[in-house]
Amino acid sequence: MGQARLEWEEEAVCVIMCASVKYNIRGPALIPRMKTKHRIYYVTLFSIVLLGLIATGMFQFWPHSIESSSDWNVEKRSVRDVPVVRLPANSPSPERGDLSCRMHTCFDVYRCGFNPKNKIKVYIYSLKKYVDDAGVPVSNTISREYNELLTAISDSDYYTDDISRACLFVPSIDVLNQNTLRTEETAQALAQLSRWDRGTNHLLFNMLPGGPPDYNTALDVPRDRALLAGGGFSTWTYRQGYDVSIPVYSPLSAEVDLPEKGPGPRRYFLLSSQMAVHPEYREDLEALQARHGESVLVLDKCTNLSEGVLWVRKRCREHQVYDYPQVLQEGTFCVVLRGARLGQAVLSDVLRAGCVPVVIADSYILPFSEVLDWKRASVVVPEEKIPDVYGILQSIPQRQIEEMQRQARWFWEAYFQSIKAIAMATLQIINDRIYPYAALSYEEWNDPPAVKWSSVSNPLFLPLIPPQSQGFTAIVLTYDRVESLFRVITEVSKVPSLSKLLVVWNNQNKNPPEDSVWPKIRVPLKVVRTAENKLSNRFFPYDEIETEAVLAIDDDIIMLTSDELQFGYEVWREFPDRLVGYPGRLHLWDHEMNKWKYESEWTNEVSMVLTGAAFYHKYFNYLYTYKMPGDIKNWVDAHMNCEDIAMNFLVANVTGKAVIKVTPRKKFKCPECTAIDGLSLDQTHMVERSECINKFASVFGTMPLKVVEHRADPVLYKDDFPEKLKSFPNIGSL
Amino acid sequence: MQSWRRKSLWLALSASWLLVLLRVFPLLRLAVPARPWAGAPQGWPRWLDAELLQSFSQPGELPEDDPQLPQAPRGGSCDWGACFDVSKCRGGGLKVFVYPVAGPISDTHRRILASIESSRSRSVSPDEACILLLLSLEAPAGECIPVPQQWNGGRNHLVLSLHPAFCTQTFQLGQAMVAKASPMVDTFRPGFDVALPLLPEAHPLRGGAPGRLGQHSPHPGVPLLALAEERGGWRTAGPDSSACPWDGRCEQDRGPEQTHPGATLPNATFCLIPGHRPDALHFLQALQAGCIPVLLSPRWELPFSEVIDWTKAAIVADERLPFQVVAALQEMPPTRVLALRQQTQFLWDAYFSSVEKVIHTTLEIIQDRIFGASAHPSLLWNSPPGALLALPTFSTSPSDFPFYYLQRGSRPVGRFSALIWVGAPGQLPLKLIQAVAGSQHCAQILVLWSSEKPPPPRWPKTAVPLTVLEGQRKVSDRFFPHRAISTDAILSLDAQSSLTTSEVDFAFVVWQSFPERMVGFLTLSHFWDEARGGWGYTAERANEFSVVLTSAALYHRYYHILFTHYLPKALRALADEAPTCVDILMNFLVAAVTKLPPLKVPYGKQHLEARPPLAPEGLESQPPVQDCINRMAVEFGYMPLVSSRLRLDPVLFKDPVSVLRKKYRSLEKP
Repeated sequence: MGQARLEWEEEAVCVIMCASVKYNIRGPALIPRMKTKHRIYYVTLFSIVLLGLIATGMFQFWPHSIESSSDWNVEKRSVRDVPVVRLPANSPSPERGDLSCRMHTCFDVYRCGFNPKNKIKVYIYSLKKYVDDAGVPVSNTISREYNELLTAISDSDYYTDDISRACLFVPSIDVLNQNTLRTEETAQALAQLSRWDRGTNHLLFNMLPGGPPDYNTALDVPRDRALLAGGGFSTWTYRQGYDVSIPVYSPLSAEVDLPEKGPGPRRYFLLSSQMAVHPEYREDLEALQARHGESVLVLDKCTNLSEGVLWVRKRCREHQVYDYPQVLQEGTFCVVLRGARLGQAVLSDVLRAGCVPVVIADSYILPFSEVLDWKRASVVVPEEKIPDVYGILQSIPQRQIEEMQRQARWFWEAYFQSIKAIAMATLQIINDRIYPYAALSYEEWNDPPAVKWSSVSNPLFLPLIPPQSQGFTAIVLTYDRVESLFRVITEVSKVPSLSKLLVVWNNQNKNPPEDSVWPKIRVPLKVVRTAENKLSNRFFPYDEIETEAVLAIDDDIIMLTSDELQFGYEVWREFPDRLVGYPGRLHLWDHEMNKWKYESEWTNEVSMVLTGAAFYHKYFNYLYTYKMPGDIKNWVDAHMNCEDIAMNFLVANVTGKAVIKVTPRKKFKCPECTAIDGLSLDQTHMVERSECINKFASVFGTMPLKVVEHRADPVLYKDDFPEKLKSFPNIGSL
Repeated sequence: MQSWRRKSLWLALSASWLLVLLRVFPLLRLAVPARPWAGAPQGWPRWLDAELLQSFSQPGELPEDDPQLPQAPRGGSCDWGACFDVSKCRGGGLKVFVYPVAGPISDTHRRILASIESSRSRSVSPDEACILLLLSLEAPAGECIPVPQQWNGGRNHLVLSLHPAFCTQTFQLGQAMVAKASPMVDTFRPGFDVALPLLPEAHPLRGGAPGRLGQHSPHPGVPLLALAEERGGWRTAGPDSSACPWDGRCEQDRGPEQTHPGATLPNATFCLIPGHRPDALHFLQALQAGCIPVLLSPRWELPFSEVIDWTKAAIVADERLPFQVVAALQEMPPTRVLALRQQTQFLWDAYFSSVEKVIHTTLEIIQDRIFGASAHPSLLWNSPPGALLALPTFSTSPSDFPFYYLQRGSRPVGRFSALIWVGAPGQLPLKLIQAVAGSQHCAQILVLWSSEKPPPPRWPKTAVPLTVLEGQRKVSDRFFPHRAISTDAILSLDAQSSLTTSEVDFAFVVWQSFPERMVGFLTLSHFWDEARGGWGYTAERANEFSVVLTSAALYHRYYHILFTHYLPKALRALADEAPTCVDILMNFLVAAVTKLPPLKVPYGKQHLEARPPLAPEGLESQPPVQDCINRMAVEFGYMPLVSSRLRLDPVLFKDPVSVLRKKYRSLEKP
């Protein structure tokens, strides 16, 4: 049997092999056969192309067909068809919430594991319908908002469908509103979730906690260690650093189209729009209205609306009817008063209207208060101070009010406007706790985009004068001008504060001179060979640089005296976050050409210094090499020009500060250059440099360079004073 | 021809094969993971009837028509709104009553009392006080003190204990705020209690040691990690020995570690601090050393966490993930390391370096709660020079202060007000007024008449408004925040000063670039006098300077506020006693705030010859005046003055180029 099959296989092989052998034997003898041979080629070719096309087609459509089929099988279902789970009456229920929970006690961080992207993974349990023994449902299966929330999580980067990889679990049991569920049975439903484990790493979302008569400020469903994202926490129920305080979503956010209204004084200074207000507080508000007349508006429910009018969208004062939430845009400050619950949906409407919320709800934990700075967008007034509220608000300067209005609107846009925004902010807060090294900063959370754009955060913000003893490292970029290089080395080595000399040998075709030829100097001299002749090698953050101060110097700058260099270093110590250099340059706006122009003439202003001789902090080397915006770095290397202008742009952009030019102007001409048609050479040079400025300004999106009218000289420069008593006598001589 | 065809055919053939290969390989690769995901549901399903789902809250359904009044605080817990009575706190300054201590006063007590006295708060009787301060629950003899008379359930009381007390809660603290060192997270009431740093026994009262950070970025050779040890020292570990940073948990692979038994300050980039309370002491050491604290699940509240954004200066990590912590630290970008390092130093210097600063910060936090909407914004607390030096009574908007222009990406606009102080009767400064009024940047001239004689009724006509203010005939008057000053910049002048218009113009342009500094023309320099064992200063021209004379100086008007409302009374009295001290005091103040030297701009020689010397010469012969610099240094607790070796000149100053090209050409007159 086995033998027979083997033979059959051999035969099959022979059919192909022998055929080709036959053709080979006949070979070139039969010229007319060439045509058939060609035909075979054509057929093979055609079939191969066809095969390729088919493969291509399959590749293109296969994965899609999988998705669409899963669409069909899984996704197009009705909420009513979800599986039903019957909960026995005696099924276990979790403990009540543990008030002492903190991230490092109740949260299992091992589940989050090491994650190079610093993103937690969130799993969502599939939707089920829970019923009790009698078949009565435990709660509404799912609300529109909770469905939106789970969709948002599922669409985000946080989502994973692999339960074993998840760090955070979100039950699909909807507990947004406590009134729509039976607490004990819901708790039992939670307890039977497959990874419940005392609620560890489970996140519940609840916006309306508590119920009559005492309205607890946190969800009453026993939940053991589960994290609660709750809307309406008080200081007594909120577990700082564990729970997340979220807003109560206002469905009006999606239903009503409310165009943005800029900040500024509005018709009513103080406005109250809530309907369910405790009678005592309403009395206080009415009294305010009586006292301050037109500038206070206290609205109430409408009593005599005609049929068909949506009463949620109307507010009344006596017989005057106002549209809600549009009326909020008429108020500078809007009252957000506690009801039975601390968290109120009106807060969202108020923020959206750009009205500054006056939060009157003692012990209320404002939404996302862990990260949001509510002082910038709201005024919190104790409940017993309602009668004084007008006076308190009037003491706030107008400028601050406008700032708060802008901030309020921004908070709504970023964190309130949709269920998705609320869900993402909640997950981001938890993510920040788990990966604190990658957490968003205060500014990232709180600054509106306009402020983020205009503000500058100087990387060297600490006012500090580095000790003189540290000294500086001189970096000389050289190609092959050895003689001139040696002169520079000799000159620079005379500067007392020099601590190391680094020669960047940019010539790959030629070896640097032998050790014995180099000038003998008192500080370590190190030669670094580069892999490519690039200008950016000058600004590479070499490990050899140990001092903070770096002196970049060209291999032809031999005219700077030791006093001048030492003084330059002293000036850098007083301005360690700036470029401190010798030859200064200026950028000007050319009104005729409508673009920037480079200027090297004798001007009264400077905005750049040439890095042919300049001190700066070594951190800027790191920035230049790794953080230069756009393609500037490559562009400079390709054009072999303007690396100094790029450095000036970079430093000015990141620090917001101008350069410091030191000491009077000198003729900076290299001794080896012969004046071959100097003028036209100069002119093309200027045109190129102007092009650089325009190019960089467009990449940076702005003109970061700052123009100043001063330069730094020694205190006694050109003063009528004995030269020998001056610290830096040899300044400005040619 | 045929070979051409054949070639082209082969080419097409191989190209198509390539195509097939390219297409098939990814397909094969895809086919493997494709199987498991084919069956499983992808994410949260899109329900067919999602549109029909009900909203979680039906507007009609909310049964909120009968809201209740607030519940009483539960279980002794308190928050600001419920347990503090703000009504007593109206009026200027924080009204504080400090309970007297029975028996001999301990050293710590004395320090705290002294620092409360030097703060901007006022002492009042217990009935008027906004805050009643109980310094400790412990009597000097060691027993616990009884409940004080005005206790009132602890309402409006602040129980302050800088060092962990043995007497914890002998009586119910109730509604009293507790300010104690490193409180446990579980008992701390956020927004009500105040978390203090755990201070070492010998913490200085004033001034305090400056931060140890000599440079912005870490030195290349410095170890990555230092680990706080139980005995109080630090153990450093090189960047390679990250495998085992935890003490006692694993023994092998320690790498190149060293132990510093005596060293109190760590020398590393990051300092790992375990989460137990006794280790809180290490926290301040790390802060001072500029070593970024990495707190491993701290059980204690970080000091002043209510106002300080610790995410900018420290890292709170989970102790259960040691390897991840170390890996994350190793990979932290230099930009973040740089920012964290600098912030540790700023915070140390602003709030922690002395007992006085800690006490003042505590009071400032409570003051901020009382102020509500007009408290310090977060930016003022968390960027130099810090909230103690940025008074919210001046403004709550950062753009009004001289320190935040850069952060906001702006620079000062507008012009300056010239404030001419006329002390002794003499010639009216008519020439000076004309010179200053000639400046295009001058907005107004204010003459502060501090002389016995009444001011003349008529003043020369000037291009800008001229106002005469009646002074109090005290020298410190010249730094009073007069309402009439309408601009950010002030040019402070004496009747005897002599300036030209271009000097003023150039000085103002320079000030616009450095709005937080003083820009002056004439300078002094301070030095340490070995012979006398004290500080001295000289007006002689030298290669460096640290003081600019305020008889001709430009600065921001905010320094008038600080001078009048921030400096202790004793210092201002000192300045009034010896008028020449006032220059030094103002320079002390600005240097203490900015930590930077003043700026000098060129001053024509002709002035020096034409007028009596502006600088009080022969100071050396007047010991009491010379002494004021030492008394101030004692009051400040350190020497804030910083020396500079440069002068800012116009770009073309004295350059060999035509004078016509120069903007400030009159500065060059011989």
